[in-house]
Amino acid sequence: MTSNPDIIVIGGGIMGASTALRLAEGGMHPLLLERGDIGQGASGVNAGTLSLQIKRVALMDYALRGYDLWRSMGAAVGFHCTGGYTLAFTPDEAEMLETRQRLKREAGAPIRFVTPAELRIAEPLLSDKVVAASHCPLDGYANSSLTGQYFRTRLKQAAIPYREACAVEIIHRDDPGFTLQTTQGRFQTPRILLAAGGWLAPMTDMLGTPLPVHARINTVTVTERLPRLTTTVIGHATGLLTMKQKPNGTMLIGGGWQGQGTPWEGRGRVSAESVIGNLALARFVLPALGTARALRSWTGFEAHVPDFYPLAGALPSIEGAFVLGCVRGGYTIGPYIGRLMGDFILGREPELPLFDPGRRFEEN
Amino acid sequence: MRLVRDQSHLIRRRPAIRFTFDGGMVEGHEGESVAAALWRAGLLGLRQAPDRGGPRGLFCCMGLCQECVVRLDGHLVESCRLTVSEGLILSRTEQGL
Amino acid sequence: MSTEADIAILGAGPAGANAALAADQAGARVLLVDDQPGPGGQVWRGKSAAILEAPPTPESRSGDALRRAIAASGMGHLSDSRVWTIERGDAGWHLHLADGAGQRRRINTRSLILAPGAREYVQPLPGWTLPGCIGLAGATAMMKRDLLPAGKRVVVCGTGPLVFFVASEIRRLGGGVAAIITANSRSDWLRTLPALASRPGLAARGALWIADLITAGVPILWRHTVTRIAGSERVQSVEVRRVDADWTPVGAPLFIEADACCIGHGLVPNSEPASLAGLKPRFDRKAGYWAPQAKPDGTTAIPSLFLCGDGAGIRGAAAAEIHGRLAGLSAAHSLGFGPGPDNALHLRYLKATRFGAAMETLSHPRPGLAALTTPETPVCRCENISRLALETEIASGAASVMAVKSGIRAGMGACGGRFCGTAVARILAAANGRSESEVPPATARPPLCPVSIATLAGDFRYEDLPIRKPAPL
Repeated sequence: MTSNPDIIVIGGGIMGASTALRLAEGGMHPLLLERGDIGQGASGVNAGTLSLQIKRVALMDYALRGYDLWRSMGAAVGFHCTGGYTLAFTPDEAEMLETRQRLKREAGAPIRFVTPAELRIAEPLLSDKVVAASHCPLDGYANSSLTGQYFRTRLKQAAIPYREACAVEIIHRDDPGFTLQTTQGRFQTPRILLAAGGWLAPMTDMLGTPLPVHARINTVTVTERLPRLTTTVIGHATGLLTMKQKPNGTMLIGGGWQGQGTPWEGRGRVSAESVIGNLALARFVLPALGTARALRSWTGFEAHVPDFYPLAGALPSIEGAFVLGCVRGGYTIGPYIGRLMGDFILGREPELPLFDPGRRFEEN
Repeated sequence: MRLVRDQSHLIRRRPAIRFTFDGGMVEGHEGESVAAALWRAGLLGLRQAPDRGGPRGLFCCMGLCQECVVRLDGHLVESCRLTVSEGLILSRTEQGL
Repeated sequence: MSTEADIAILGAGPAGANAALAADQAGARVLLVDDQPGPGGQVWRGKSAAILEAPPTPESRSGDALRRAIAASGMGHLSDSRVWTIERGDAGWHLHLADGAGQRRRINTRSLILAPGAREYVQPLPGWTLPGCIGLAGATAMMKRDLLPAGKRVVVCGTGPLVFFVASEIRRLGGGVAAIITANSRSDWLRTLPALASRPGLAARGALWIADLITAGVPILWRHTVTRIAGSERVQSVEVRRVDADWTPVGAPLFIEADACCIGHGLVPNSEPASLAGLKPRFDRKAGYWAPQAKPDGTTAIPSLFLCGDGAGIRGAAAAEIHGRLAGLSAAHSLGFGPGPDNALHLRYLKATRFGAAMETLSHPRPGLAALTTPETPVCRCENISRLALETEIASGAASVMAVKSGIRAGMGACGGRFCGTAVARILAAANGRSESEVPPATARPPLCPVSIATLAGDFRYEDLPIRKPAPL
């Protein structure tokens, strides 16, 4: 099976694995190659937030379907639906919140606005300086560190061969088909799917179709186990804070504070100033965190292109080459867009439109 | 006549004072480590580990393992890094933390 | 709050304190940072403020001399201060720490000397989490700082010289030793005679400890190990078995009543600070653990980063002292202060390492050690994860320490994987038929110790929040 794959999927995160599963369902024989551990890139280190309140308006349909898939994955990925609040602390933030959340509601997310009094009943320990808040009952989270274990199991169940610790070093166009030089030898294949997230750019360069992929370096911090402080997913109007308390009592704190480094240096580096700022804001929003200790901070690479819409489709002017990634909110949308991608490669009409990688990228 | 003699009687410590742990009075010498004072008082089990991990207490004695943590003013602190002082009030962490 | 230095030193044990003194004497502006109340590290740990008077020991004399030298030097010195992360700056390094008053501080330094020392390795075994079970190094810390022996019926178990030191100290401080259980044999020790001969004073002390134990009728069970620690809420007894030359338990179990158990299977370097600074650990085959690399002169693969003492490999206090001095002289010289280390010092260091290396061979893990960890034994203490759970996760495909961590949280608890990481890596290697050299530790992540959010938040005001462009709608 490994010797004659119909397609090689490069990248074993949610995107690559979900696509591979759909392809196998449709009768293809994919081989998946992952440079590290399955699901250890952005898929495995993000804060796990599944919140419709932070999804782009034009991607809401994708997010809703992605959310449904996460719900069906259930306990195996630590899925929890808790409801979520987005908070504003100043008049400007409140105005921004009101405008944006209304548009997202119109796009299909069940979002409503709540009074500070109602918020205080649901989350009594939050700061009393909240001036406005929105709520979505579907919001919740999954345990991103279980991504790897989950997809490894699914790939095995579907008898899809995969290699870990297998980095693709060179992609050669055989026209037709491709030869891949990897750290575990050479592979030939008629088709490739680039699903390498933050590691996409050198691959598209290699194929002569460079794509403007950039990686943000998002930071997440986890605390020690704490008594129950919150029950919902907490967000901030500016996006500078996400907080969720896991069943084991640890609090996961994010908000896109930037670390340092690039994907080819390996892991990113945590920036102390970012951790300090992120946690200071967290404590402002939830004063009880003042007696808690942070145990661990880490970074993950979140790839995007200039218009912050996904890359999902065939690489321009190369027969048999496809790309999937750079989805903002890729954790929520990933399982669904992987399915769409699989359908597209199988020659079916995808349920929702994909995103042409050959498009002109307007700055957003 | 022992080759290595018992020298404990040659040790002089600051006066014993009382501090509070888990609602009860514990005697300790001002300035010694809280973990040592609790150990001497026979209070070896300081907390219950999560996921039915059972009773835990001092292990590495150098601030690394986090097994000896107690609550001071709401914060969890390693008792092997705390010193005994008059009026110190400490409590156990909640079950499973 | 920010402080500037030419050379900052992390750790004030024999290595770090001597590095600081050497650099200070060479004329550099030095800042010594340590997480203990005073200099001395483990081996020369100072007594607590509660001790007004106590009989001196060779270690207390050395420690007091060191502490006097530091105080007399006038160098910058932050004690009780915990560095939680290390970052590369444009012109050197930034150390972020929480000081003794719980305040956040940053140190900007041109060069950095790491002297983080070592910690204990204890092979997980049934009952090792029971209150009353402490490490050999842990028992040493309690006795040096608080002069408190672990109990009246202590079972002292493990490998290497610490076993005898701890037993002797327990007796000297008024406690009682029920038995000494060591997997080492007398012939293991005889093989270290050449090294022992180079340290006649220490050898004589060791001989005295053993003679004292024998004349006092304390059983010394050579080629034996504790296989289980039992008790309902605390240590009440231990199960002991004879082991073969591979340290595999072979004898029938015997039971010893105890009120405490001190156990340890060697020391391993604290490799996390070096890892954060960008110096990845490498597998030391002779020692059987992963350690960051430093040369005898204290230099590393990273210019402006120096490393010395047990944090670069366990060689003992005498070698650490000299290594520290070498590193301090190297660091100072690299900034234009002083002539740098000389050959004579280099040679003294190499000679001193031989003793420490010989002592270390007594604790080099043998195949039977891992067998002490039964399937139900919690390997990750913090998260209570058993060997069985680990092996199940590995069987489902987790192939690296990081993957195991992600899957079942082993190593994600409060100790940052310090007390399970080595055991997990060894289980992984064995399960997949790989050598330990192929299973590197998980990448170190900050903070280096749990850090209070209140300390980090400091005097944050909401207006200080950076303005960020709103996410695309």
